[in-house]
Amino acid sequence: MVTVNDTLNIERSAPAARSFSQPYWDGTKQKKLLVQFDKSVGKYQWLPRATSRFTGRKSVLEWREVKGEGEVYSFTLVYRARPPFQGKEPFFIAMVTLPEGVQIMGNTVGITKEDMKIGLKVKPYWHPLPDGCHMLMWQKA
Amino acid sequence: MAMRDTAIVAYSEVKTVQKSDRDVWEIGAEILEDLLNKTGMEKGEIDGLCLSSSTTGAGNCFWSQTTADQLALEVDFCQTVDIGGCSPTGALARAAVAIDAGLCETVLCLFTDTAVRESGQRQRHYQQEWTAPLGLLGPPTSFGFITSRYEHQFGLDYRMLGKLAVAQRNGAVLNDLACEKLRTPITIDDYINSRMIADPIRLLDSVMPCDGGSGLIVTSRKNAEKKGYKNAVFPIGYGEKTSFQFSENIVDVTDTGHMPAGAKAFKQAGLTANDIGSFHPYDDFIIAMMIQLEMLGFCKKGQGCDFIREHDFNFGGDLPLNTGGGQISVGQVGLAGGGTNLVEAVRQLFGEGGNRQVKNTKNALVTGIGGIPYNRNWNTSVVMVLTPNG
Repeated sequence: MVTVNDTLNIERSAPAARSFSQPYWDGTKQKKLLVQFDKSVGKYQWLPRATSRFTGRKSVLEWREVKGEGEVYSFTLVYRARPPFQGKEPFFIAMVTLPEGVQIMGNTVGITKEDMKIGLKVKPYWHPLPDGCHMLMWQKA
Repeated sequence: MAMRDTAIVAYSEVKTVQKSDRDVWEIGAEILEDLLNKTGMEKGEIDGLCLSSSTTGAGNCFWSQTTADQLALEVDFCQTVDIGGCSPTGALARAAVAIDAGLCETVLCLFTDTAVRESGQRQRHYQQEWTAPLGLLGPPTSFGFITSRYEHQFGLDYRMLGKLAVAQRNGAVLNDLACEKLRTPITIDDYINSRMIADPIRLLDSVMPCDGGSGLIVTSRKNAEKKGYKNAVFPIGYGEKTSFQFSENIVDVTDTGHMPAGAKAFKQAGLTANDIGSFHPYDDFIIAMMIQLEMLGFCKKGQGCDFIREHDFNFGGDLPLNTGGGQISVGQVGLAGGGTNLVEAVRQLFGEGGNRQVKNTKNALVTGIGGIPYNRNWNTSVVMVLTPNG
């Protein structure tokens, strides 16, 4: 039987935000999931970009909070990784579709190999990072 | 299309090795001399230089200039092409366009990389912020997603992926220039039993990073005729697509840019997949080749496994595929690895395949894959149809 590592034991540094992604990371300090929204077409987008993927206009973007409940679109069980993940395999990376029409990748917490399947319902698990931000992970809904 | 007014008149390739004991410029110099010998050209006749991406050169934003300096090539056109695994075939296309536009007449297309010996790469993209913190290794993980999704949508017979792996390995066994470590035969069971990297991606789905290089001399059709070369190969169709469906958040990851790029290339060439003599698809992972069979119209979407079951992909088979072993069984020459399959296609059309010569040399189809984006398959797809008859 394969024991999947929930990766909570891995020492992570906080990713360096870019000028246009900083609001996302700020939101994670309060465990809020903020997603860019193009108000001219009424659509969300992920990942954070410098401009709207729909219209090519940056001025139409704003940040909106979403609940983050979604379902697994695809996943892989990683057996080979670089430090600091090396030696801590295997662990999941899941790609999750949210009802807002975006997909967000994350590691998983408490999801076994037997549990994992495309269509599995998940919700956020916020893992603290050294700078006060949180890393978005996925747990069973 | 005017790209067909240019001719590949020579190719060259060095042996692929796990780690080069020679500098990347020394490999380039060896390829240059081999190409001068094969064409009978003087160095001064080369008035263009078009390079693939190079991990070794990636820290130098003057890469094409510096390489022209090192090789002492006085040129009227000088460019590095930076579309990842598509960059060798993309470089050939850009060389043809430059020749056709009158910028130059004869281009050295040079695809060298010593990524293992010396990486100059300092990447700047989304990965540091959004995927590296998840322990995502890069391409194997992304292809794990693609494979899981393909299996969910269509079902997947992994033994058929193994059949492609075995056919490629058979080619590498016959190919003196393939990395020695990879020149031992494998079976479908070996493929199935190889260890998981990013389940369901296995070791034998994947490329091994290596060092090496290849190159082409491309000139105008007029010059090729004037010089009376015995062998010439012409690009008669080309399609390229970057950021396929990137205006949408969620796409079907089993649809790829090869669909529009292939349609364009086939239309220009006046051919369809059924007309193809040998197929040299970009192979960073085995399943990428199966998806290309679907996207390019060899079979319908979702029917790749059935198609593989019904065909023989060895050099003597009905659809010879990456007859030298492909990158998976030759070794991946860093960001120049797309040159491996491109040069093999030219070699076959020259009739110089030796112990692995294909019978049908009417044409060959070459593709490229470049870049790994977030939640989709790849950034750039290229497709080129080559023929010895113009």
